[in-house]
Formats: sequence, structure tokens, C-alpha cells
Amino acid sequence: MRITFVKKVLASGEPCAKCRDVEERLERSGLMSRIDRVVVADERDETSEGMRLARRHNVDRAPFFIVLSDERTTVYTVYLKFVRDVFGGEPTPGSELEEARDLLRAHPDLDLV
Amino acid sequence: MRGKDFADSPVRTDPREVLEDAFRRFGLERLAISFSGAEDVVLVDMASRIVGRNVPVFSLDTGRLHAETYRFLEAVRERYGIEIEVLSPDAAQLERLVRTKGLFSFYRDGHAECCAVRKIQPLRRKLGELEAWITGQRQDQSVTRTELPVEQVDSAFSMPGRLLTKFNPLAHWRSEDVWAYIREHDVPYNPLHDQGMRSIGCEPCTRAIAAHQHEREGRWWWENDDDKECGLHAQNRIPARAVA
Repeated sequence: MRITFVKKVLASGEPCAKCRDVEERLERSGLMSRIDRVVVADERDETSEGMRLARRHNVDRAPFFIVLSDERTTVYTVYLKFVRDVFGGEPTPGSELEEARDLLRAHPDLDLV
Repeated sequence: MRGKDFADSPVRTDPREVLEDAFRRFGLERLAISFSGAEDVVLVDMASRIVGRNVPVFSLDTGRLHAETYRFLEAVRERYGIEIEVLSPDAAQLERLVRTKGLFSFYRDGHAECCAVRKIQPLRRKLGELEAWITGQRQDQSVTRTELPVEQVDSAFSMPGRLLTKFNPLAHWRSEDVWAYIREHDVPYNPLHDQGMRSIGCEPCTRAIAAHQHEREGRWWWENDDDKECGLHAQNRIPARAVA
């Protein structure tokens, strides 16, 4: 399995808050060591690798994760879903709710269901 | 997880054909229609003509719907002689939200947290029982739906080893098509539509709009649509593409 973490740098040069939060959580949980590559999507440079990966995988938000496993590529835009699906573990009530909020962020259509 | 459209499948744009195909492939036990209490009632009407009173329908009762919507759900249940599975939020999560944030936190903090408790969690619970679901989503409803296919792997709720299929039979219909169907087939509709509400959700988050406004403007109007820090804008040079 090969995991790429794509985080964003804003046009201002600052990292996006959500990306920073996700990176801190990866560090705290010890999962950062399981990430093979960290790539930047720089809003100031559409040729940056992260921006190219976003276009290739049809992703329009960051952070996101690209997981290559058994020659199959899966892209995750919801952090907790990525953690649950890739690393396993039972969700807690708190994490379920947070994942639901992230689902809405990644799938804004859902609030109109 | 990013979804995948069935791009190589024959394109079906007639909602009735999509429904027939969905019921043929998944039957009545593994598939259900999500009914919001708005103009997606046309799906209930179409499906009832295909499978009769056994049409599987569920609806998300957020606890904040208009009284008119609750009455409309009842009217639909009686008109078609069907059961509607009405899903409620988890009581403990809802009580915690209201206790800590109050009853109108969405005006201050945005609607995501409230929707997560009142809609997304019950929806996820229900979809965990199914292999496929049917929505009334259309391409013309918002800028995030312009590439919505009639059938897709549901990237939001699928899990490893357990793919969930999502049908959007009305994807290619415009609002005008839906209302033409409602008039032609004398389908009951939510009376709030007659009050200028084109998109109907929870009472505090829905308002009437003018004819020239997009229906999305009738929902969460106090939130700034431009506040999309997580979007990959590239100084707005990269066209927005939908995440499946």
C-alpha cells in the first residue's frame, strides 16, 4: 500500500487550516509514519504536484489522500473515513459526528437530501 | 472516497427506465427511495406505478421541518397507500448539541454541525442497511451537481468491500420537467412551494425566493458561499470539478 497525503497552501502562502489540523492529528496519532509521501497543492502554482494530482483525480478540495493498494487507487477527501477504511478501528460517537461533518464538507450536495 | 460514474454504461435519461432498472437489479429489500418531502415526490409516484404499494421509502425527520411538510408526508403516505420509514436523529447526540450550542447554532456556526446530527447520521445509519438508494437530486439544483449522473457508486457512504449504489433518476430533468410531471399526473405536492419555497428543508433554514433566484439561495442564505478555504482554487484559474 502506498499513501500520498496532499495538503494545500493558500494563495497567501499560509497552509489551509483544515490541512494543518489533519496533519497535526496524523502526527498525534502516530499515523504520519504510515504516510509515504506528503505533497503540496499550492494555489499560487497550478503546476505544483498537488494541484496536478487534484486535477488527475478530479478532486476539488484539500486535504485529500491517494491510496494505491493492489493496483487500485482510492481517493479520500474525508479524513476520518480515510483513517477508518485504511487503518481500521471502531468509530466512537464523537468521531462519527466529526466524520459526518467532514462528509458534508466533502459532499456539499448531501445537505440538500 | 472518490466515486465512479458508470460512464461506459448505456445512458438512460428517462427516470422511469432508471427506476425500473434499479428495482430489477436490487429488488425491494436492498433499495429505498429517499424522500425529502418536496418535489421529489415524483419519484414516489413513478415508483408506485412500477412496484405498487411496496415501494420502499424513507424520509429524514430532522425535528425542524415545517408543519406543512409533516402533513405532506402524511398526505403522500395516504395517497399511495405506502409505508414511509421516518428516521429520527440520535437522541443523545441531538440533546448534546442543543444543550451545548442551543437551538439555533447554525445561524452562528454554520449548518454543518446541525445537519450532521439531524440528517447525515440518520442517513448513514439507514444506508448501512441497503445496497442502493434513490434520490431526487438533479443537475440543475446547484453548481456542485452539474455533472451528476443517473447512477453512481456512492463515494460518501460506500465502505471497503461494500459498495453502495446511488441512483439519481431525475439527474437530467430540469425543475420545469418535474413540475410538468406533477401537473400532468396530478401528483400531490408540498404547499410550501406555492409560498415561493423552491427548495424545502428545515423551517429555520428555508426561505421563499424570487423567480429569478437560484433555488439554492433559499437555503442557508446567511452563509457565505465564497468561504471555501478547503477548495482548490488556484487563483480561480482551475475550473471547479465535482468530487464524486
